[in-house]
Amino acid sequence: MKLRVLLPVLLALIVGGSFIAQYGPRPEITRVPFPQPKGWPKPLYDFKANPLSKEGIELGRRLFYDGRLSKDGNFPCASCHQQFAAFTTFDHNLSHGINNNLTTRNAPGLFNLAWQREFMQDGGVNHLDLQPLAPLTAPNEMGEEIDSVLVKLRTDKRYKKMFAAAFGDTAVTTQRMTRALSQFMLTMVSANSKYDKVMRGEAQFNLPERLGHGIFQQKCVACHPPPLFTDFSYRNIGIPDDPFNSDKGRMKITGKSTDSLSFRVPSLRNVMITAPYGHDGRFFSMIEVMEHYRKRLKVMPATDSLMRKGIPLSNFEIGQLTAFLYTLTDSSFIANPHLAAPADITVPVAADAADHQRVR
Amino acid sequence: MWLSLGVMRRKLRIGAIAAGCWLLAALPGSIRAQQNTLTLQLLARAGQQALTTEDSCTNAAGETFAVRNFRYYLSHIQLAGADGRYYEAAETAAYLADMRDSSSQQIMLTTKGPVQSIRFLLGVDSMANVTGVHTGTLDPAKGMFWTWNSGYIMAKLEGRSPQSTAPGRNFTYHIGGYKTGQQTARWITLPVTATPANRLVLAADILQWFGGSAGVTIASHPVCHEPGPLAVAIADNYTRMFSVVKEGEQQP
Ligand code: HEC
Ligand code: HEC
Repeated sequence: MKLRVLLPVLLALIVGGSFIAQYGPRPEITRVPFPQPKGWPKPLYDFKANPLSKEGIELGRRLFYDGRLSKDGNFPCASCHQQFAAFTTFDHNLSHGINNNLTTRNAPGLFNLAWQREFMQDGGVNHLDLQPLAPLTAPNEMGEEIDSVLVKLRTDKRYKKMFAAAFGDTAVTTQRMTRALSQFMLTMVSANSKYDKVMRGEAQFNLPERLGHGIFQQKCVACHPPPLFTDFSYRNIGIPDDPFNSDKGRMKITGKSTDSLSFRVPSLRNVMITAPYGHDGRFFSMIEVMEHYRKRLKVMPATDSLMRKGIPLSNFEIGQLTAFLYTLTDSSFIANPHLAAPADITVPVAADAADHQRVR
Repeated sequence: MWLSLGVMRRKLRIGAIAAGCWLLAALPGSIRAQQNTLTLQLLARAGQQALTTEDSCTNAAGETFAVRNFRYYLSHIQLAGADGRYYEAAETAAYLADMRDSSSQQIMLTTKGPVQSIRFLLGVDSMANVTGVHTGTLDPAKGMFWTWNSGYIMAKLEGRSPQSTAPGRNFTYHIGGYKTGQQTARWITLPVTATPANRLVLAADILQWFGGSAGVTIASHPVCHEPGPLAVAIADNYTRMFSVVKEGEQQP
């Protein structure tokens, strides 16, 4: 009879105790707000599923700069996405991956990702959290497997601590790794260029910049509207296929011939520090892009209706437009210490650094 | 004194759990054992034969092949009794059945009385395809996910055949796609008759992947690795692959 009474009490204690352990107070996770620029649209990223925290961002930053995410240790995310170049690969049409491979596309700059619904220049990736898995597992980029990266992270004491700090316990999962990377990348907000300062009334355009802004609003804004300087649509702007790097763009994802050679309209923020240009980096300078728009483009059946006659531009206008594009460079973004490598990590020197030395 | 709502709720919850525990402990064991469970046993087959990685199979077009990998997702497993109303019967959102892992082919279901039919989604729903990285069986590390064109591979069938013209004489079918016009997840509904109350055996016949309105053969299509018309045609084919196995004819 006594047992009948004792047993439930004991059970209640055990269950109650474990309940408190599960939901009771735990080491604080420091939530931080998303740095929303004034007057910008609402971000599309689902922060409810993955709320930003100081610890999560810090973990994401370490992952982003850590070569161990790649098979041979030499290709962290940051090897292709360099902060001083607004997180594109500096001065590269295509980026270098493991075993002397090249990527098939030009690495885009990484910023303002919270407003982006789809990723990659063909829109193939439908969530920011999923994006890291593409380079991680691509044999021409980081050449790794998700499971073996997780094993490397699990055996590292510092990561164990950081995962616990960011997510409450030491479990290292694909989801947590990618969410931490997203948290870090979401803090890459670029909204403090001269253009932004002018819009906020804190600075003024000089004459060429002002004229360039006017031309931009006439001839470019239909596809590159502020504040993000892209409408995120996919368009064929008359860039012919390169038979040595055949890439049908958006058509690869939708299977529709009307999407042949269509690529996402890129943001033009920081554009003057992200050369070369175009999805495969075929335009080595801004002048080449302008030459494309005014005379070299090739009209195809899938070419955008706005692009069928090209864009008339005088040399004079090109100079002014370029002056305006310089105002989109955000020097506080590329110098932001919170986005730089953690103090104890040195990013491996690019595989082709020696070639560049020779050229110079 | 003012107790915050959260604390109050927590106290109430603990109280409720404690009461539940007491009930459980006090109840006679015989009643507890009557928890209604049903084991869903999945079998992989080629026609009437059990599918193994060693044996050779022959499809309706006369092509011979050996299978080394056969995996598929099942989700939203629901049961219905005599009233025909379906209810969720599984604990987990999605299961990944793998021919080489017998434990993955046994799923515990909870029933509400005698079962008259079962339905489930072969594959995963669109929501799972657009909401980032998931855990458990839906972890992209399971190899059932496309990273370059986001989305789950609903089902995979891979092997080797002398009729294949692909490198290594391999044939590889990775069937996925969730967007309009590319959907490859399929609802499967099967009537359940004359099976013991606590066990239901379903056979998945891989020979059904071939043929169909698109006339799929290994020779004509050794590879399917992306969403699109071929994937949809094969999905239409695999919709036919399940049947309820009557107890007693389980081991052919
Ligand atoms: C070998 C070079 C390389 C490495 C390493 C690399 N990337 Fe990239 N990244 C690229 C290229 C090239 C693209 C453009 C791909 C495309 O458009 O098809 C890209 C695109 C992206 C995008 C999408 C940007 C957009 O605007 O759509 C994000 C986000 C990104 N990378 C993050 C990462 C992260 C996180 C890592 C590390 C896990 C990483 N990258 C590693 C080269 C690389
Ligand atoms: C019809 C829409 C459209 C219009 C109008 C348009 N662009 Fe673009 N722009 C695009 C698309 C699409 C791309 C990407 C093409 C590719 O990568 O293949 C692009 C690429 C660029 C790039 C390369 C950026 C990079 O990082 O690679 C620059 C620079 C650029 N546009 C500037 C301009 C300027 C300046 C104007 C006005 C004179 C303009 N664009 C008008 C659609 C447009």
